[in-house]
Amino acid sequence: MYKIILCVRYLQTRYLAFICIVSVMLGVATLIVVNAVMSGFSTKLKDRLHGILSDVVIDTERTDGFEVLDDNGDALTPQQIIAQMKSNPILRERIEAVTPTIETFAILQFRYRGTVIAKPVRVIGIEPHSRAKVGGFAEYLVRQKGSRTPSFELTASAIQRHEWNRKQWEYHDANMLSQPAQMKIEDPNSIPPPNLEIDKGIPQAKIHGAIVGYAIAHFRYRDDKGQTVEEVALEEGDDIIITTAGGQELKPVWGSFLVTDYLKTEMSEYDQSFVFVPLDQLQRIRGMLERATAFQIKLHNYERDKEIVTKELRMFFRNSPEVRIATWEEHQGPLLAAIDVERGILNLLLFMIVGVAGFSILAIFTMIVSEKYRDIGIMKSLGASNWGVLQIFLGYGMLLGIVGCTFGTFLGIWITNNINEIEAALSSLTGRAVFPRDVYYFKEIPTNIDSMTILMIDMGAVGTAMLFSLIPAWRAARLQPVRALRFE
Amino acid sequence: MLIARDIKKTYRRHAVEIRVLNGLNLEVQTGEFLSIVGASGSGKSTLLHLLGILDTPDSGEILLDGKRIDSLPSKERDQLRNRTFGYIFQFYHLLPELSALDNVLMPAYIGHSWVSWWPTRRQWRRRAYELLEKVGLSHRTKHRPRELSGGEMQRTAIARALLMNPRVLLADEPTGNLDAESGRGIMQLLREINRDECVTIIMVTHNLEIVPMTDRVVRISSGRITDDPPLLQPVPTTPLLLAI
Repeated sequence: MYKIILCVRYLQTRYLAFICIVSVMLGVATLIVVNAVMSGFSTKLKDRLHGILSDVVIDTERTDGFEVLDDNGDALTPQQIIAQMKSNPILRERIEAVTPTIETFAILQFRYRGTVIAKPVRVIGIEPHSRAKVGGFAEYLVRQKGSRTPSFELTASAIQRHEWNRKQWEYHDANMLSQPAQMKIEDPNSIPPPNLEIDKGIPQAKIHGAIVGYAIAHFRYRDDKGQTVEEVALEEGDDIIITTAGGQELKPVWGSFLVTDYLKTEMSEYDQSFVFVPLDQLQRIRGMLERATAFQIKLHNYERDKEIVTKELRMFFRNSPEVRIATWEEHQGPLLAAIDVERGILNLLLFMIVGVAGFSILAIFTMIVSEKYRDIGIMKSLGASNWGVLQIFLGYGMLLGIVGCTFGTFLGIWITNNINEIEAALSSLTGRAVFPRDVYYFKEIPTNIDSMTILMIDMGAVGTAMLFSLIPAWRAARLQPVRALRFE
Repeated sequence: MLIARDIKKTYRRHAVEIRVLNGLNLEVQTGEFLSIVGASGSGKSTLLHLLGILDTPDSGEILLDGKRIDSLPSKERDQLRNRTFGYIFQFYHLLPELSALDNVLMPAYIGHSWVSWWPTRRQWRRRAYELLEKVGLSHRTKHRPRELSGGEMQRTAIARALLMNPRVLLADEPTGNLDAESGRGIMQLLREINRDECVTIIMVTHNLEIVPMTDRVVRISSGRITDDPPLLQPVPTTPLLLAI
């Protein structure tokens, strides 16, 4: 009974306790904010990494795609390979969707302010409908965001823009004799056979759409005032030329496309390099009809089935050593491991803040116990036991920890919820961006408040407060009443 | 009732040994008001602390009703300090964070868990109020020690010592820090408690003027009782008290 009364009274009357509370509060708030931001970054990054990759990826090192032969020795088409995969009962039950893709490096060219810009990109040929079923595609499109049936179809305004562009170039070419003349599109309705010879290629007559990464199509730079300005370099309907390697001898091949949409994953790596084009068109350009270089697979239950599916797929492709089968986590393993390691180290370093708070509790408690020598003697003369005295100071430490944690938790959550406003205020105060958005391609600082993490932090902090109050409490408990009463 | 038998106590500071009590013997009767006098450093307070099991002797034994109490397990010693002995100190020793009422109630707080306290809290508060009224402080119950005078603090300490109905009251220079008038008031209060509630009081003092108010006086010198005169009869007629 007396322990509770004295704990509460000491808390109310000792200004030194306030310092302990502030120490714990700041430590807890910092840990919560850092964890929320790290978790926000990590979750968003994992979502994005997973999002675009699909659950399981099968790809081949052969540049001309998978070479899976049937019993007659004929190469199977991607659709036939998928059909064979689905004929396996283990895979059929577990695979939700499969889509074939071709992934290759390429050079992207487009006109911008009268000059031709060239950028290295990763061009991916997809079937948009089946790719959307695998997930991690349609939700990142800008115009067709979240569409169940995304396509490379051009909107009327895009075609209008294309026509306007063409007239501009014709006028420009006629007057200025500038290149590239190849960008002319002759007959929009005919599909000529692929021509792999350099300088003799005819632009694909039918107009094909392409989805380009947001950062490819939008330039960011700082103006005179230091503000980040975003300029559209490629609008919907603008022409792009993709040059890659194709055929058995890997000769340069190219094709022209019109921008129909943007991919905006907010992952700079993807947004700066990904260009999606129709699979069949990329097959024609590269001279690999009915071929694919990768399969993207979505599982019904990834966590449950990832191991058995990859094992079964390895069996399925056992005669094709060039085929690699990996889950999205295996694909991004080093990056994911780096995030976890970074988070662990940061937490360890930050827990030192709570450690510092703990040492301040130790110092302050030692002072308080010295100050309370006489009171300890009085309580013992009135019948208080050693254990009772120990409990007073342990309880006092716990109470300080709980009060500090409560305030720290509220402060941490408040800072986390308002971190973007705080960042803006700090940036304007210091004149330097605390969170440069052009580096991360996040609109705002991502945060993720996890109640379990907060609980762990709070328990850790209260435990630390109690641990550091244990030594002074032990000293207090062992004090002889007579010695304590004589202490002045 | 309370017997100290062949008590020896030595304090050690660095390499120096100071023998304070050297084979001391004392017997206190139930209901007696005993005063122990002696020069500073003679061991009066040490004896009081040993009798009240706040400290342990190097050798010898303390007996209460024939039972040895100085070697009891700490839990039983704590209970004896809480229920059988009441302490009054020269410097009052009130807890500064608590009101006068809470200070008086502190032995009850210590003697009860939260569960056992709750059903009996009203009767304990009533007793604390009664005791504060008895010592003339019913109007000061909510005041903190720093808001009370020396005499009032000592009265609060007496009320605290009486809360658990102790059988023995141990007073260490109870008037040592008070002016003559306040000291006289405290002594009258102790006398009343001794007489009305039959509480055995053992008082240590070096103030010879208040000694005649007690039943018996013993003197400590060289670590032993050197003078144990018969009971002074009757207390109110002593010349010293009349002079006061």
